[in-house]
Amino acid sequence: MPSPAPTLAIDAREVAKTFRSGWFRPRLTEALRGVTLQVPRGAIVGLLGPNGAGKTTLLSILATLLIPDRGTARVLGLDVVRDSMALRRRLNMASGRPSFLWSLRVSEIIAFYGRLYGLSGVALRVRVDKLIEQYELKPYRRVPYSELSTGLKQRVALAKSLVNDPELLFLDEPTLGLDPDVSVRVRAHIAALRRERGMTIVLTTHYMREAEELCDEVAFIKAGRILDAGTPEALKRRIGLGDVIALRLEPAPPAWLGEAPGVLRCATADGWTKCTVDDAEKRLPDLLRQLFAEGVTVRNVRVREPELEEVFVELAR
Amino acid sequence: MSWRADLLAVWAVVVRNALMASRNVFFFFELLFWPIVGVISIGLMTRFLGITPAQASFVLIGTIALSVVNVCQLEVAYAVLMDVWSKSIKHQFLAPIGIRHLTVGSWLVGMVRGGALFTLLAALAWWAFDFRVLAAGPRAVAVFLLGCFLNAWIVGVFVCALITLFGNRAEAFAWASVNLVLVLAGIYYPVSVLPAPAAAFARAIPLTYFLDAYRSHFGFASEFAAPIATGLALSVVYAVVAHLTFYASVQRARRTGLLLKMSE
Repeated sequence: MPSPAPTLAIDAREVAKTFRSGWFRPRLTEALRGVTLQVPRGAIVGLLGPNGAGKTTLLSILATLLIPDRGTARVLGLDVVRDSMALRRRLNMASGRPSFLWSLRVSEIIAFYGRLYGLSGVALRVRVDKLIEQYELKPYRRVPYSELSTGLKQRVALAKSLVNDPELLFLDEPTLGLDPDVSVRVRAHIAALRRERGMTIVLTTHYMREAEELCDEVAFIKAGRILDAGTPEALKRRIGLGDVIALRLEPAPPAWLGEAPGVLRCATADGWTKCTVDDAEKRLPDLLRQLFAEGVTVRNVRVREPELEEVFVELAR
Repeated sequence: MSWRADLLAVWAVVVRNALMASRNVFFFFELLFWPIVGVISIGLMTRFLGITPAQASFVLIGTIALSVVNVCQLEVAYAVLMDVWSKSIKHQFLAPIGIRHLTVGSWLVGMVRGGALFTLLAALAWWAFDFRVLAAGPRAVAVFLLGCFLNAWIVGVFVCALITLFGNRAEAFAWASVNLVLVLAGIYYPVSVLPAPAAAFARAIPLTYFLDAYRSHFGFASEFAAPIATGLALSVVYAVVAHLTFYASVQRARRTGLLLKMSE
């Protein structure tokens, strides 16, 4: 009886990687210091972190491009070192700085990789045409790669990364350097991949909005370690950033406001009293009720949820 | 990996290399310009020196062999070099492709280019210098070309290994390596004229034996007892060593991260 498919697409434990540069007096750079990461099948997970945090190194180990020094990583139930060849058939990758053979045309690039993944004849032609259509590359199918714009190169990279219909897709900064309108389209494509094909996607990004929009879970990496991981909402809560309720009050805010239940801190500036609370939806009615009871007039109210960017800044400190 | 998948991966590399070759002006120079210049200049030199037709054939066989080996080994080296130049090597090694697919696919294109070059240079040598390189007969020509192509595969795979071991810095080996063969394998002179230590190195190069065997059809006494068998046996040994070296250097590049650095 065939064994059931594992529920985790990625199960990495204590993965470590140190790079050595130089032959005679090697300089050591610890890129990963024992990273543990679990990604459920069908999820979109974002790896966030400053430059040099180890995001690309982790992605490359999971994609079998790098061999870890320590730890174990199982991807789609296979070991990334022992079963690398079998694994490569089932995953793919696109990076934000794509590069392919310069004089090959768009259709030839996709066809080349298609053949490497075992496609031929009609099946190959159909797949190439479909991807060219899907990524709006039809007018460029006979254009050499070197003559494409950055955005078009990115689309070729995405098309190539889907040529084997992978179960797991790694995207290394997929919208890096793209115009905003192209980024929006690329993000829509990524969301559609999961929605329509149930593909598991792991992406690295610097753009918090991208992570918030696309990812079920995010993991923050800094200096080769995962500092925190979870849903964007849970992370915001865990970091204690809280929601901000901004109030315009008349007369001045009462002293008890800063100590009311659920209020983390309060500060007044430019006529606005900003109270950081654990949960705005839960606390706002109580605060308003109490303020009304004390005869304080509330002229204006604004509620702002913290952004993932603030979590990033907090964790990157 | 199934036979079908193996063949498809090799075919992918064949198509890629052929397309790249057809669109690069430098490939034209490699295939035609330098080899033709080589045969004409060496042929004219033999006339100027007034050497015997037999001696001229000795030198011209060496010149043609060198050109064929050079063109074919460069093509094998392109298995890695083209991806290094275009910084796309990580995509190649991300796919389910073995180094055997890369080197065999490139070698097949190299053999086509080498075969075309041999035909062209043979015609040129006949027309310009009345040297009939095909006079040894089809079987001898086939064995000679097989020897040249095997040597080219070995040199090319070693170059691939050096590039994946040292990165772009090792590119020069692709063009320099064939010169080592030129000095040691008896391209322009018999191995017997080399100093003893160099002659020992020459005896370790398979091409030496294939040249010796081919020249025996043009009236030169063979310097070795069973040159073809020895050449083939040495080629097999070197081919295995070259393949394992390339495999080890790719694994090392996966450990050191050079594979990624070469894609940045």
